[in-house]
Formats: sequence, structure tokens, C-alpha cells
Amino acid sequence: MSETSASKGGFGAWALDPKRRGAMLVAPALIILFVMNIFPLLWSFGLSFFNYKASSPRVPSFRGLSNYERVLTDEKTWERFQTTAVIVGSSVLLQLIVGFLLALMFAKVFPMRRIVLMLVLTPMMLSFVSVGVFFKLFYEPTFGIVSYVMNIFMTDKFVMLGSPGGAIAGIVIADAWMWSPFVMLLVLAGLVSVPKYLYEAAEIDRASSWRIFWTITFPYIKSLLLLAILFRTIETFKLFDIVYIITEGGPGSSTETIAVFLYRNAFQFFQTSRSAALAYIVLFIVIVLTNLYLYAVNRREEEVT
Amino acid sequence: MRNIISGLMGATVLAAGLGATPALSADITITMAAPDWPPTRFMKEHFDQTYTSPAGHTTTLDMDFIPWPSFYERVAASLTSGEQKYQMIVTDSQWLGAFVEGGYYLDLTDKINADPELQAIMQDLHPALVSAYSTYPHRTRAQLEEAGEVPAPGVSYYGFPQFPDTYVTFYREDIFCHEGEMAAFQEKYGSNLPCSYEDWQDTDWQKWGQIGEFFQRSAGEDLAGETLDDDFYGIAYQAGKGYDFSTMAINAFIWQQGGDIWDESKMPEAQAEGVVNSDAAVAAFDEYLSYLQYMPPVAQTGQMDIFVIQDLYMQGKVGAIIDWVGLGEPVLDPSASKVHDKSAFGPAPGSRKGDGTIDRTGNIGGQPFVLTTWNSDEVVDEALNVVKWWLNPETQLSAVANGGQSGLKSVMADPGYNDLRPWNRAHVEMIDWQKDVWHIPEFFELLTQQQEEFDKAITGQQSAKEALDSVAEFQQELLEDIGFIE
Repeated sequence: MSETSASKGGFGAWALDPKRRGAMLVAPALIILFVMNIFPLLWSFGLSFFNYKASSPRVPSFRGLSNYERVLTDEKTWERFQTTAVIVGSSVLLQLIVGFLLALMFAKVFPMRRIVLMLVLTPMMLSFVSVGVFFKLFYEPTFGIVSYVMNIFMTDKFVMLGSPGGAIAGIVIADAWMWSPFVMLLVLAGLVSVPKYLYEAAEIDRASSWRIFWTITFPYIKSLLLLAILFRTIETFKLFDIVYIITEGGPGSSTETIAVFLYRNAFQFFQTSRSAALAYIVLFIVIVLTNLYLYAVNRREEEVT
Repeated sequence: MRNIISGLMGATVLAAGLGATPALSADITITMAAPDWPPTRFMKEHFDQTYTSPAGHTTTLDMDFIPWPSFYERVAASLTSGEQKYQMIVTDSQWLGAFVEGGYYLDLTDKINADPELQAIMQDLHPALVSAYSTYPHRTRAQLEEAGEVPAPGVSYYGFPQFPDTYVTFYREDIFCHEGEMAAFQEKYGSNLPCSYEDWQDTDWQKWGQIGEFFQRSAGEDLAGETLDDDFYGIAYQAGKGYDFSTMAINAFIWQQGGDIWDESKMPEAQAEGVVNSDAAVAAFDEYLSYLQYMPPVAQTGQMDIFVIQDLYMQGKVGAIIDWVGLGEPVLDPSASKVHDKSAFGPAPGSRKGDGTIDRTGNIGGQPFVLTTWNSDEVVDEALNVVKWWLNPETQLSAVANGGQSGLKSVMADPGYNDLRPWNRAHVEMIDWQKDVWHIPEFFELLTQQQEEFDKAITGQQSAKEALDSVAEFQQELLEDIGFIE
């Protein structure tokens, strides 16, 4: 950029100079990304080494790795990780089963398929808050529909959220209801990509249904299934909204996922630095899972090409 | 008492008149953080209709209405972020410590000492409210009354009542006063089913449990001469994990039966262990738990909060609930409530003492409003004018008539006060029994851990003793760490 051109066209001409046009076009996005994401990320990382409490005016002092040590040696943290693992495992498994069955159904042509498909996809387009409120009302033991139906078959009142197991099941069902259609979409993409001539050849060879599925269908969808598992594991691992609305982590702390535990530490106990340390441990786990996800995506691309 | 009200109104008018010739008038906007519910909505409407600045300013009250469930988080986030958005804040009394120590709430002691009008208001306020809503470090009602003067020397004052709230009993007159039901109750328990206000004055927890057992009916059974389409429950009080939704009810049981919570007014000598989990406290908590079996099954989930029981009552599924006066107005709304024309109100039950009297000690509800520290002198003075306007007897009577409540003794003693709303008589009776939970900055940590342990007991995961032992251990450790227990 020469002084001459700057003086001729002013800032507009300087900014639109072909040499820097690309940089100028991405600059706003980079600035927003830095201000909204990178800076807070670095700031909270710094906080995790101090004893800062957002509710206190006291000047924080440097504590080194003690917050990480306290978080990792706190048995509550591990209890919350276990709860999260149970919910993630159950929910992702249920999503896979339901999503897979739905995909098998929609891989075939039947009347009003498009309309039914659209209806089945609706849950994943709803907000978490709406889904949480729906299911909280469904499970309400006095007038909720789930209790109403179950009471027809039971002598005692059915109270879905009255026990730790029931409450976990309630959350898993709500999450699976919302996200099974997503798994279905991925599997369906795999199913429709299977060349028809393979099925025709298998039919000529009189291969069994299981043989057709295992040797023709499954190889086409396995990498997409892996993607679905990883993506849903990452998302369910961070599950907050539905849990907080349906059970608030209760009864007691039996459904308190690591995300709810983190929120309560940060915004109810105001243990800001310790929460930041826990958040970075969670972030580390999510990064590991994301790398596995990216590895799976790359493998899928290699298979396709 | 009319004379006192007239006198206060006269003083207000006189002061307004004296102050009506300011050197400079200005446009002042007071932004107030307020929970979104009728008492604050009314304040905004009434302000817009009636407020005239005695200082000649053009004053706007800009209420930031925040939904209840996120109120604390939103206010805390605003204050701690340093955005200095609010000039006034409707605050729970328990937040005083955290936000005074944080440097956000303004100490009004000097202003009160220098202003006869504010002093007159403080003297007219019920002492339970002054203790709970205004003092930090916390002073009990007994300590304030012992001082003998208002403001008491050496005490710092911060808040004024925006909405003083108490627990009262909401009950279905059509079933509690039904002759057949009354006779059946008398036959079964040998005592009367409470029908009138006076009957509720003589209702203790034991009878509350009997009412619960008596009215627990299944669909198809009869209730007050009609066949039920759905299951029906006799009683409900709050048993929710969120915020303070079980602590408020459990504290009442504990205090009434001679137990106690950690007493911040006696720090650093006051202990948590041995007090919080004393035998009296455990027995009181056990009694609280024993009545849950007669309540709607949502009690078993730990989600029976004040809004849930209000809703169940309005749907006609519960015979009697104990809830805040502030939630009474929708019960009388024909568009929202199936029992709008069948409801009556009485004092909350209590624990009967050896001499036959009933102790109704309870945990105060409602909220004060406070000023923030970053306001200019001009804004502070104008905000205090708003306080005076709100606590003017005329404004207070309008607020009460529209579903609000008053903490002014003179207003509550007005002969027409009880007729303004059906729960007023019970409110006046209950306010004298009120105490408050802790005000220290770590209040939310104490509360959250306690709520979780109470919730485990409510949902049958542990006993009352295990819950209180865990609460006591946590509180002892935390309070020792921060130097509040030596």
C-alpha cells in the first residue's frame, strides 16, 4: 500500500486493494471470534489458576494447579461424571436403535412418506427448553399423560421422577425423542447410497436378509453410524437444558450431569475459579471426542472417494 | 389508627410541599430490577399514574421485569459484571450480605438518620421486617427492640419493604364447611374440621396431617356430595429442590419445635454442628416429612414448589395449601382458577405447645428494595422520594387493594384493611411470627447444599437425621473456613 494510493482513494480504496481484500473480508469474523470466544476462553483459563469468586470483591490470589487438584480429587465430580456416563450411554444407545429403525422404515417408499418424515424430524427442530417443559408436564404425576396411562395398569401411583432410576429414564427418553431423528437422517443417507444392483445381485444369489444387511448395507452405513455415535456423545455429554428443566438434577443429585454440576458451582456457589478448572477438564474431554469425530469424518471421506 | 395514617400522609404532603422548590430540576430515570409478578407490575402502573417528584424532577421508573426463576442469577450477573445498570433493586433479604460486601448496595443509615420522614417510616414498619429486610450485619428483632430506638445505634440499614410476604393457608370453603364432611371428620378424629378463620387459628400440624389423610380420595369416590373425576388430595406445602422451596417450610417446623438454624447474629460463638442437627431439629424435620404422604404425588419428585402447589390448588386438586400471600391473587381470578369462588384464607398451622397455645414461627417471605452505590446524590435523593411515595399510606392501601401487601403497622391497623383482600387478616396475624434465614455473603452456598440434602430426604433417599447431619457438617466446615465460627 503506497501513500499515493491511500491519498487517492482514502481508506475504502486501501481496504479494497486486491492484495489485502481477502484479509479485510475475514477480519470482522475474526475480531468477533476473538472477542466473543477466544478472549473469554483465555481469560477463564487464567482464572482457573486463581481463587476468584465472582460474588466477592476480594482480590484473587494465584493458586497454581490447586483448583484442578481439588476438582479431580472431589468425589462429587466423579459421581457427576458417572451420572453423565449413564445418561450418555443410555441415551445414545436408544437414539441409535430408534434412529436406525426409523431409517430402515423411511428407506422404503410408502404413502405419505414425505409428510411422516417431516413430522418425525420435528423434535430435533424444537428448542431444548420447549422439549424440557413438554416432558416435565408429561411426567407430572398428578395430571401428566404418562402417569395417567401407567396408572391404568398399576395399583400404586406412577411417579416417573420420584426415584433416581425413573428420573434418569425420564431424561434419557426426552433426549432420545429429540435426537433420534438426527441419527435417522445420517443412517438414511447411508442407506440410500447403497447401489441397488448389489441388492439385486444378492437376491439372485438368494442371500438371507441378515446376510444382505451385514455384507451390503452395514459397510455403507458403519462410518455414518460412527459419526452419529460420536456427534451425539459429544452433545449429550454437555446436556444441560433438558436436565435442568425436567429434574434440576434431582431427586437429590441423582440426575446432576457434569454440565449441571458445573453451572451450580459457577452460578450458585460462585466458585468461579474452581468452575473454570472443571470447565477446562470438560473441554479437554470434548476435544478428545471431537478429534475422534474428525478422524471418523476423514475416514468416511476416504471411503466415499 | 386513622389518625396515624392521616398524620403520616400529612407529613408526606408537607415534605413534598417543602421540597417543591428545588434549585434545579432534572430528568431522572431510575432503573429497577424487579421480579415479574403482580406486586411489581402494580408498582410500575401506580407510579406512572400517581408519582410526582417532590423535588420537581421529571422522574421515570424503568422497571426491568425479570422472571422469578432467573431473578437471582440475572441480578447477580449484572452486579458482579460491573455494568451498573440498576439504581434500585428488589432483592431477597438473604442477598443483603453478598451484595453489601460486594459493594453494590448502598448503606442508607445516614440518610435515615438525617430525614425525619424516613425515620417515621422506619418506626411505623413492623420490626420483623426491619430486622429481615434492612439490617446488615443482621440484627434480630429482639436485638432491635432491645435497642429501644429506631434507627438503632450501631446498626446499618439498607432496605425498605417492596412486598412483605407471609405464609397463610388457602383452603376450599365448599369442602371444609360441608356439613357431611364436617360430621365425618368429627366422627373419625373427634375434632372439628376447620371451617372458619377462628377454626384455622386453632389448627396445629397434627390436625393438618389429619386433614391430609381425611381428604385423600381416589377418582370415583365422593367429595362434599359430588363424585370425583380425578384423585384428590387434602393438603400441600412446598417441598421443592429449587431455590429455597423446602427450606422455608422446614425452618418453620424447626423453629416452632425448639430447634434452630445456624444463628448469624451470635457469630463467631454460634455453632452449626449440634444445633442444625439437634434432636429437636431432627424431630421437627421428621414431622414435616411425615405429612408428605398425604400430598399430591409430585411431592415424591422433590418438585413441589410454591408455583406447583398454587397451580394444583387452582385446578381443584387439593383441599388446602400453605403458600405465600403474594400468590393469592391468581387464585381469585375466574379466568385462571377453578376455585376462585370457593376459597378462603386462614393463618398457617403451627406446633402446639404444652400450654395449649400454637407457635406459628415462620420464615419471612417477600422482598425489600435497595439502592445501589453508584448513584449520584441527586439520584439517591430522588430514589428515596420514590421510597417515601411507595411507603406512603395512601399508596400502600392502593397496593394492598390490588394484591400487594403492606409492612406499615399503621396501614395494617386501619379498620378497612382486612376487607381489602381476603387474606389480610391472616397476613397480619402471621407477620408477627416471622424470622429470617441467614444474610451472610455465603448464604447461597448454605442454601443450595441444604436444599439438596433436604431433597434427598423428601424423595426418600435418606433420613431426616442423615440430611441434617450432612447439612451441619457442611455448614460447620464452610463457616469455620471463612471465620464465622471459631
